[in-house]
Amino acid sequence: MELNLLHFYPDLMSLYGSYANLSVLARTLETMGNTVTITYVEPGDEADILGADFLFMGAGTEKRQKFALADFVRHGDEVKKAAQDGTPMLFCGTAMELLGKTILDESEKEYSGIGLGDFTAKQQVRRIVEDVYGHTKLFDAPMVGFINKSSILTGVETPLLTSMNLGFGNEAEGGAEGFLYQNVIGSHLTGPILAKNPRLLETVIAAIYAKRGAQCPEIPKDQWAEQGYAVTARELKARCK
Amino acid sequence: MRVFLAILACKLLRFVGKLVGKGSSLPGKYALKICPDILKRVELPAHIIAVTGSNGKTSTVEMIAAILRAEGKRVVYNEEGSNQIEGVTTLVLNNATFGGKVKADVLLIESDERYAARSFKFFHPTHFVITNLYRDQMTRNGHPESVYDAILPAIHPETELLLNADDPLTSCFAKGQEKVKWFGLDKCSISVSEPTGVYHDGAHCPVCGAAMDYAYVHYNHIGAYLCPKCGHGKHQTDYTATAVDLENGTLTLDGAYTISLAFRSIYNVYNILAAYAVCRECGIDGSIAQQVISNYVLKNGRMQTFRLGGHHGTLLTSKHENSIAYDTNLRYIASTKTECTVLLIVDAVSRKYFTSETSWLWDIDFEQLNADHVKRIVLSGQYCADLAQRFSFTQIPQEKWEVIPEIPAAAESIKAAGNEEVYVVTCFSDRDKLLALTEKEG
Ligand SMILES: [Zn+2]
Repeated sequence: MELNLLHFYPDLMSLYGSYANLSVLARTLETMGNTVTITYVEPGDEADILGADFLFMGAGTEKRQKFALADFVRHGDEVKKAAQDGTPMLFCGTAMELLGKTILDESEKEYSGIGLGDFTAKQQVRRIVEDVYGHTKLFDAPMVGFINKSSILTGVETPLLTSMNLGFGNEAEGGAEGFLYQNVIGSHLTGPILAKNPRLLETVIAAIYAKRGAQCPEIPKDQWAEQGYAVTARELKARCK
Repeated sequence: MRVFLAILACKLLRFVGKLVGKGSSLPGKYALKICPDILKRVELPAHIIAVTGSNGKTSTVEMIAAILRAEGKRVVYNEEGSNQIEGVTTLVLNNATFGGKVKADVLLIESDERYAARSFKFFHPTHFVITNLYRDQMTRNGHPESVYDAILPAIHPETELLLNADDPLTSCFAKGQEKVKWFGLDKCSISVSEPTGVYHDGAHCPVCGAAMDYAYVHYNHIGAYLCPKCGHGKHQTDYTATAVDLENGTLTLDGAYTISLAFRSIYNVYNILAAYAVCRECGIDGSIAQQVISNYVLKNGRMQTFRLGGHHGTLLTSKHENSIAYDTNLRYIASTKTECTVLLIVDAVSRKYFTSETSWLWDIDFEQLNADHVKRIVLSGQYCADLAQRFSFTQIPQEKWEVIPEIPAAAESIKAAGNEEVYVVTCFSDRDKLLALTEKEG
């Protein structure tokens, strides 16, 4: 297939190696015989959102998130339409907050998100920094990673992680984390979560095929990703109470 | 009375601490318990210089002390580098009379960027040098803008700032500040036209978010920038590196003072420039700085040499989670042009957290090792698979790199054959794991 991946604000929203999510996704799709085009969308650019196979935005600082939001609201209606149609998307860290109803910055100033989800992100001065070992309904394997955020999210009804043994979730220690709607994934897990969690990568790939109405062939496994995941999962599990 | 007691407790604990080899923050901690505002009550020297930033603090502070001492100034500074309020308190009280007068001309502080506001609650520096702000230990610091927000309240209106004009984010500290002096590097032999590195934190203006224009950069996004929308741009410099030749190891300051570089790195250039600038502001003659800094070998030098079988080796230590520092080490290896093997170790990531956090590997420009003279790359340590996954996304031919998880086995494999140079890049926590397997040189 010819697949078109959209990468929103690649420089503005690029913290914590977020871009690697697209790198592993594109390479795996290519290995599976697809032709993959990554289109970068900068502020002010037009974007063929309804024609895209995958939408991605990485994490940014709280300030840059507002710069991104100022442009992203233009695309809000189309992003919501694509989400309802089942287009797979990944929004990392502060980018996830753009999908919600409102963002309150540390001085209580309110910003409107695109309203795909009915949640609010309240940013605070103190940052939440923790290792993560948690569980999703998408697959059996535990999700691993790290969290480094300033926000408390309230009102998420369909989280990505339903529980955590390690880590602070949307609004509580050990609570639910992230956002999941159709094939849209949002998470504050730091950076390259598709590189760190091979099962999540497979979920995204399966969704890309499903959206195209195509049969998903066997997804090749990357030996380093599998080994890296095994080490991290083992070490984190040993730290769970 | 409390002042006296606090000073006494601090001096006693410091004395005992030195006997048993304990760190330098504990005495200050107790002194602060006895007298929480002790730093306000003591009589501090006329010059108080603080240095903060993501990189180069320790080296810059060391060179400032060397220059000032050469001029005969009595300088008090913490050579052990503990730089939160407790360490600063130990330093100050330990060098004070029992009446509370600090016996020095200059108090010099390497200030942890996250805790500067706490340290400077009871007094403020006369001169505050901010070297740079970029992605650094993100598990602890968050991101550069959160570090910026943490430093901001530490800046007193009466403090004179010395800012790196070439760093778009650091330059923002000048806003609303009356006394600012700027240092920077002119366009020179190492300048390139576009930002370098895997990510571009300087691509957008830190003030208004618009796409930023660059006339030139020296490394990553450090250079001459101008925001076409709000006008935030590289400020005219008061202290300037007017010429740099890293190949021949020379640096010229203000067109007048040429210095031989003991360590030919762009970092060293900026650290020297910052030290020179603040010393000039304190009234030191440029030629004194020139004499002291020429061929100056840092005590805390982050390069160590060793032997491993038939190989001569160099250990390049960098904080793991600091991609710009790591890039600088890789650039150094790329610049050597002699046949070499490179050993990269990622065993422990963070000292504070366990942690599985390896996202910073994706921020490092490993592509720099894709050079003819780099013959072999060995990836080792607990997180070697994460490192290998990252490497699989570089253009470096797969037959050039290999994974040997155990550090002793990796060292043994290199030792077994050949006599090419060996470069090892790793962090402070992991370097002794390798050094223990090598022989001292000489
Ligand atoms: Zn601007």
